[in-house]
Amino acid sequence: MGSEFVLFVSAAVFSIGAVGFVIRKNPLVMFMSVELMLNAVNFLLVGYSSFLNSLDGQIFALIIMTVAAAEVVVGLAIILTIFRTRHELDVDHINTLKG
Amino acid sequence: MMEFLDQLLSFNLDRETVFGLFQQSLVFIVGMTAILASLGVILCATPIYSALYLIGNMVCLALLFLLFNAEFLAVVQVVVYAGAVMILFLFIIALLGARKEPRDLSFQNLMGLGFVGLLFCELLLTMAVGETQPVQGQATPEVVQQVGSAKAIGIELFSNHIIPFELASLLLLVAAVGIISLAKFTYKPLRKRTRT
Repeated sequence: MGSEFVLFVSAAVFSIGAVGFVIRKNPLVMFMSVELMLNAVNFLLVGYSSFLNSLDGQIFALIIMTVAAAEVVVGLAIILTIFRTRHELDVDHINTLKG
Repeated sequence: MMEFLDQLLSFNLDRETVFGLFQQSLVFIVGMTAILASLGVILCATPIYSALYLIGNMVCLALLFLLFNAEFLAVVQVVVYAGAVMILFLFIIALLGARKEPRDLSFQNLMGLGFVGLLFCELLLTMAVGETQPVQGQATPEVVQQVGSAKAIGIELFSNHIIPFELASLLLLVAAVGIISLAKFTYKPLRKRTRT
């Protein structure tokens, strides 16, 4: 149960997140899939920082968490603005930037 | 694995062996739960269930962080992700109304599935790479345990990684200004779009 298991879990969660980003149409669920992918990368960094006795991986994961929080806030504000102008949420119908 | 079985059969278990076995099985169970919860995120038709499954996935990952000696990051994961970010998601879902999404498997979706399956196989190839020459750091669990996880990370963050830390604070400031300008100045179309 060493680094192989960490690699497997991380790869599985990352791929599931990528599938969710591809097949779902609701932008909220697409954002959740992005969060899944970021979390998978975080887990890989923390696991390897534990295996290699180094704190650099944990610092990297901390910065990734900051970036993810900022990204989610801005993304949800954009989704809210789109919903206010168009009254629907389907990424297939949002095909223009002109409003 | 064989040594464990031998020791189990001969009832020759000391404390470290039992603890290691327990920890390994715990890592396995929690990791599998994390994968199942992430499957629930993308398979639920209603966004609110997806959000709840995502909270489960994040809590599982926080437990895994604990098992890999990263206590501070586990706390940050629960507070920032499962707390702040997911509450924001739930607010937005409650505001917009959660509608069920029809499920379809069009050609584009199947193509995307195939592409991601290929990506997954490529990621699994990294498991086949054997031992390379790793760079071992100084922060062994005993050293970290002496000062505490949060303090060790703080010392590292403010000494060796001060520039990424400042850049992260700048990023948060830019994000705050961005959402204020998005929320305050409502969008008014300058002219009607002419359809040709």
